[in-house]
Amino acid sequence: MGLNEGALPVHTGPAEAPQGGLFSGQPSFLTTKLDAVVNWARTNSLWPMPFGTACCAIEMMATAATRYDLARFGMERMSFSPRQADLLICAGRVSYKMAPVLRRIWEQMPEPKWAISMGACASSGGVFDVYSMVQGIDTIIPVDVYVPGCPPRPEGLIYGILMIQEKIRNSAPTSRAEWGRTDLLPESASALTDPMIEDITAPFGNSTNQNRASGLVSTGAMVRASDRRP
Amino acid sequence: MSNDAFKKGLDGLDSGPTPSQAGQTEAPPAAAGLPPHPSVDALRERFGDAVLRHELVAGDEHVVYVDPARVLEMLGWLKDDPAHRYDFLQDLTCVDHGNGRTLQVVWQLWSIPNKLNLRVKATLPLDALEVDSVYHLWRASDWLEREAYDMFGVVFRGHPDLRRILMPYNYAEGHPLRKDFPLRGRFTRAEQTRRALAQKTEDHYSEKELRIAHALGQALPEPFAPGEAGSQGQFGGMGGAG
Repeated sequence: MGLNEGALPVHTGPAEAPQGGLFSGQPSFLTTKLDAVVNWARTNSLWPMPFGTACCAIEMMATAATRYDLARFGMERMSFSPRQADLLICAGRVSYKMAPVLRRIWEQMPEPKWAISMGACASSGGVFDVYSMVQGIDTIIPVDVYVPGCPPRPEGLIYGILMIQEKIRNSAPTSRAEWGRTDLLPESASALTDPMIEDITAPFGNSTNQNRASGLVSTGAMVRASDRRP
Repeated sequence: MSNDAFKKGLDGLDSGPTPSQAGQTEAPPAAAGLPPHPSVDALRERFGDAVLRHELVAGDEHVVYVDPARVLEMLGWLKDDPAHRYDFLQDLTCVDHGNGRTLQVVWQLWSIPNKLNLRVKATLPLDALEVDSVYHLWRASDWLEREAYDMFGVVFRGHPDLRRILMPYNYAEGHPLRKDFPLRGRFTRAEQTRRALAQKTEDHYSEKELRIAHALGQALPEPFAPGEAGSQGQFGGMGGAG
């Protein structure tokens, strides 16, 4: 009896047959699921595309700097080019004039890609419930994780990124639903319907309705890929 | 003490100018008790009735209200007269007092040789927001006038490139800093989002940017054919020669 009982067979005693080894002449295998390998690689080499427009960007820079050191999580390189990025971090308020720029950058990122809405303004417009501000970037691009705060502390952003990693780990890239999936947004228009936009952009709308807007009914910050709109 | 003394913030706006004051042309009595300002006295002497009012705010800021029809002439004189030489336009902006009252255009001048400040104001009724551009006196007024046009809707006659500068080029909700402008804009959020995403950000360049691109041999967008007549005369020589 041992701790390993029921798991892999353990050879004890003198070897009756040669063990498989790289140069032993015997066949050797490392078996795993393709999903697991792909997810492992994607999880640990996320390259963020920083879209910093305001004070949240300062916290994002602090997160990337030595004290909090985003590189620990595989984000060695802030990618200032959307073509070489997997994770859009929208940090700060976005004006309507900036909205097509954000959309263009998101469209330039290759699949698979994820988005973090960092801070109150990016997530809901924050205190800027005015004529010029986008009331939540989920009216512009699909968002995976909303990080609350004004601005969030680096720990908050790191927690959001860990949730993205959790989401990647739980995804099934080789499944029929995910394989080759592309988020094609309607050209020059929001993916949401007008009533949905009105709903989430009402005063205090996004702070209470964020999950409904993203298609998730229950509370909880994470939105699964299958729940993401469109 | 009357209640008016306690008016603060938005309530205090009631003490602003009223429409009835807009058309006043008679010269007010010479400012008694005000410390003299050489340029204001000289303006009075030269332009007479065009100087409507002279007052002192915030301790030592001289404000002179002038006739909007003669603003270009007076500012040009203030800039070029050797005794005054207000060669630095510090700021150009507007003030809207709300409640349908007149809108003020403000030119904040500074004379570098004389080390002297002067604030010139002109009041415009809301149904005739037009005043001469000072673009050809101070190039600094280029973007300032565009901003005043964008935010308040004041049309500066003679500005060579008067278009929006802060709001998107396809913005159609009016002029946001006017007091009668609703805080969240005039359109629904859905419509605002639709218009925002319909912007073609690469399609809008200024004449100058287009000319630089042309000089570098880059292809121009469709509506701007190279060597188009009309643009040459508008700018005079290019390259910031003014």
